[in-house]
Amino acid sequence: MDAKFYKLLLLGGAVRFYFVRTPLASLISDRVEFATPLNSQKRMKEGIYLLDQGIDPYSGDLVHESPLVLKALSGLFLNFPQWLPLIYILLDLLTGALLYNLSVRFVKQKLQKQRLERKNYAKDTEQLQYNDDDNYDIPELVLIAYLFNPLTVLSCIGLTSTVLSNLFLALFLYFLTKGLLLPCIVLLAFETVRSLYPIVLMAPLLLVFARRSLIGGVMLSVLFAIACVIIATASYLVLHSWSFLDGTLGFIFYFRDLQPNIGLFWYFFTEMFEHFRTMFLITFQLNATVLYLVPLSLKLRKEPLLLATVLVALMAVFRAYPSLGDVGFYLALLPLWKRCWKYMAHGFVVFTFFMVTLSMMGALWHLWIYAGSANANFYFGATLAFSTGQIFLITDLLFAHVKREFCLYNGQKIMIDGEEARILLK
Amino acid sequence: MFAFYEECSNKHLIRALPPPPPPSIYAAYKHFAYNSLRFSVFIEIQMSCTHLWCVGALLLATAVAQTTPKDEHFHEELVVRPLSGDHVNTYFQFTTRWHYGQKENLYHTQLTPRVIAELLQQFDVKELHIGLTQGLWRYETWGYPIVEATSGAEMWAWFKATNLTDQQVDKQWAQLANVFSGVLCASLNFVDNTNSIAPKHLLRPQFMPANRESFMRYASLPREIVCTENLTPWKKLLPCGSASGFASLLNSGYVHNTKYHSLGLKVRTLCQDHDEDNCILEMTQTANLVYDLRLLEQSGNDFSLRRLFGMGLNGYCELASTSKIYVQRNELGARYQLVPPPPAEETTTRGGYTVVYGVYDMQEQFQDQGERLFNIAWLAPKGELRRQRQKPAPPPIYAHRYLLGQGQEHGRIVTEVTNSHYAPLPILVQELIPWYVHAYLHTLNIRRRPLGRNEYGSERLPFKLLHYAPGKQRELPTHLEIGFLLPGQSSALITIDVDYLVLKWLEYPPDANHGHYINAALVASALPMGTNYSALPLEGHLFAHSFNATRPSYVLGLHTEALIVSLPTPDFSMPYNVICLACTVVALAFGPIHSVATKLIVVVRQTSAPRNFLKKLKEKLFSRGSPLLPTAGEADVPEGAGCLPPEEQDENENDNDEEEEKEREKEDKEDKEYAH
Repeated sequence: MDAKFYKLLLLGGAVRFYFVRTPLASLISDRVEFATPLNSQKRMKEGIYLLDQGIDPYSGDLVHESPLVLKALSGLFLNFPQWLPLIYILLDLLTGALLYNLSVRFVKQKLQKQRLERKNYAKDTEQLQYNDDDNYDIPELVLIAYLFNPLTVLSCIGLTSTVLSNLFLALFLYFLTKGLLLPCIVLLAFETVRSLYPIVLMAPLLLVFARRSLIGGVMLSVLFAIACVIIATASYLVLHSWSFLDGTLGFIFYFRDLQPNIGLFWYFFTEMFEHFRTMFLITFQLNATVLYLVPLSLKLRKEPLLLATVLVALMAVFRAYPSLGDVGFYLALLPLWKRCWKYMAHGFVVFTFFMVTLSMMGALWHLWIYAGSANANFYFGATLAFSTGQIFLITDLLFAHVKREFCLYNGQKIMIDGEEARILLK
Repeated sequence: MFAFYEECSNKHLIRALPPPPPPSIYAAYKHFAYNSLRFSVFIEIQMSCTHLWCVGALLLATAVAQTTPKDEHFHEELVVRPLSGDHVNTYFQFTTRWHYGQKENLYHTQLTPRVIAELLQQFDVKELHIGLTQGLWRYETWGYPIVEATSGAEMWAWFKATNLTDQQVDKQWAQLANVFSGVLCASLNFVDNTNSIAPKHLLRPQFMPANRESFMRYASLPREIVCTENLTPWKKLLPCGSASGFASLLNSGYVHNTKYHSLGLKVRTLCQDHDEDNCILEMTQTANLVYDLRLLEQSGNDFSLRRLFGMGLNGYCELASTSKIYVQRNELGARYQLVPPPPAEETTTRGGYTVVYGVYDMQEQFQDQGERLFNIAWLAPKGELRRQRQKPAPPPIYAHRYLLGQGQEHGRIVTEVTNSHYAPLPILVQELIPWYVHAYLHTLNIRRRPLGRNEYGSERLPFKLLHYAPGKQRELPTHLEIGFLLPGQSSALITIDVDYLVLKWLEYPPDANHGHYINAALVASALPMGTNYSALPLEGHLFAHSFNATRPSYVLGLHTEALIVSLPTPDFSMPYNVICLACTVVALAFGPIHSVATKLIVVVRQTSAPRNFLKKLKEKLFSRGSPLLPTAGEADVPEGAGCLPPEEQDENENDNDEEEEKEREKEDKEDKEYAH
């Protein structure tokens, strides 16, 4: 917590404040890459307006935000719409600050752990170990990656509710590193009732809080379920109807809106044969939630935060309505694994993928929707390639982590017959 | 006593009482113009008096004659009105009115088509309107039509019975649409809950007794194309068919040459209060045509029945009680000379607006025996220049609608209502936005512009009434009704932002890039004067009943244009490719994560693989089939070596060393063998 931290925060705020006053802001709030049916500001406004008019917002097909959020923000939206961008910017800065604090704590924990285990490490592995400089470097990198990533900046100035999701996720991760159980559970339950997918983050939570005891795990799960029920009941009390469950969770699960986004779902289910739809729907939702949960939880049981990072990233790729704001959030968590970077082989490829596909998306969307000279396949191709790039990044991180762990104990250079050997998975 | 009933009905005194509006509507009307309020209250008082008296007469009549044929009457009427811009409006109305009394009597139909009588037995429908229209009625130049209709097919109905529920009504509504799909050969079978709404304020029932327990459904199919196959079955519903009478004029070759043609069917039941056993069934069939004289092959502006319909009139329907032709003689009709001249003339003043009609009674014309064809010719003065004729003043209220925005992503539906009257008028607008378009209620606003100014300012008009039922994809359309007071001499611009949805590939119609239709909006108002107004009064059933029918105000209904939007379309040719590609990307994630989670870390000798690409390829090609070929020296490390706790790690490392040594020995042997 030093002057540089505040300077960065201030600069991040200034960047957002500058862009929110340009015409870019309204453009971004309509872009399908940032504004999905779940997080678009237009739909949020509509929901608040309908709620204000006494019409059930979920009787229609436009509003999929949690009633609690609608109610909480309705005063702001209706009475002080001109302050809205400022509030969103402040919330986004708060997310950045939380990520910064989280990484400070994370590096400290890492160093502590390293001190205990150092005697087991191989000799030439200083490069792979966290050192004292990381106390400053990593949090700073995390903060910069969050505040100055164009994806998060644009997501913030488009006033998408991803800003809120990111804030809640950052809070969750912060409390997770801090070891505060109750806020963790409440936040996770809230996000789960709001957008379904964060339920997978129960795995890192259980790994942190109920490491060795099965009973503890069961107790926490029950506690989580109770929290979910309480939050759903609170939403019910706001709305006096259960229709919001279908409007939020049902809408996500059944993937009712085929509006294009950066994910894999939209074109797949546009072109799907109707009698296979249910099967593929379940397959894709399983893929986005429980498919990787168990193997990764077993593999990464000692690194709950890495598990959380990977799960958040997989969520951003495979969820039904992903937006670039989600991508920006997990990209900001990557500097935490700075010591794995040495083994990340696809950095350049992924970077190129991101640059090319993101710029293509805008162009191809224009060609398809406005110029009429391209068709949906073009845009689908760009989103597909973007997803592929993200997947490369995630698997690369996992491989790098495994290799680092191996080398940490076996040395960076393993010799076979006097020659340097390669490390492979087999 | 029977004579008394006759007299009563001939004087058109059996009237339908408009229902008392529910309280919410009262609240809405309160905000409305004073004359509107006065209108509803006045009409109610006036009509409930006549109503009581007449129902008494009805009862007396039924006591005497239960099923005499006199209880059923058929009337045919034809109205010809020259319109501005060399257009002629011909309006046919065929009315069957049957005092059937009890429901059981419906089994014995005479003039009324059996299908209509069966409807009333099968369903709880009390009033039904169907319109099949091609073309657009131009309010600004043609004034108001006698019967309103929107382009395409339109249908609305009221249901009423004891213990009727919404679900039952939905079911009956779909069945009813299916019945008429068959009866009229129209695509009404596409009417279901995904494109029907239950209007709250705009459409008023015309049956009796109506109270708030009645249910209503409305749907329109703007894409429907109306043609011969609808006209023929429509004519079959008439007692005389198309053999004789006015219906013989409706030849499809000529009807479908018109600029606007609209077939209408209206059925309503009028019952005595709280007595379902004393009812009248009234069925009205209308055909409203607008001819463009310039398109008829002729010189000048003369026209005749023969020119318009291809043949003269061969007589009247023998089953008809009356059979009359009304020809407008004043305004644009004044310049024509009629041959033969009308035997009688009738002057009607309604709400300060006077119209003179020449009346031809066909029963008189054809009194003497002998076959012949009757023709009326309209002869325009010679040497008249077209541009000398002045344009008519626009009617008090007219509406237009269009779409703003470009691209297939967002748009804005604009409805423009203009009030050219000097006083403020209450306006009701009903929108039915189909489910494939998302409308954002918070973007709805009404801006006002005084006539004569080009730009709309920022001046907003407040809603006096708002009913909104949001739409749901594949389930419900968006239903919006708004009421506001439009100041005199000004236009209101009603805008609402919409998003266009991407549909599933099989939900697009065969010509996907043709676009999707957005239904026309309905606009209603209450006019204080009868300028241009020629609709039938609520309690009347013949066109002649609109003569001198001065009322405190005139309920006006308008339709705007329907819109067409182009939704983004997917590529219809490649479902398999998309499924394969998307699944491949999922597999791209699944494979590596599976490896990371399950596979062992091994250390492999680096040099064994050739660095050169060609050599690599060569090795790959030739190493096939020889599985013994060792590619590398391996040093296996048990699974999760890096992740085990340090204590375990130590033990493993010792094991590893031993294993590695063994491995090396083995490899050396293999290498040697390979060398041999």
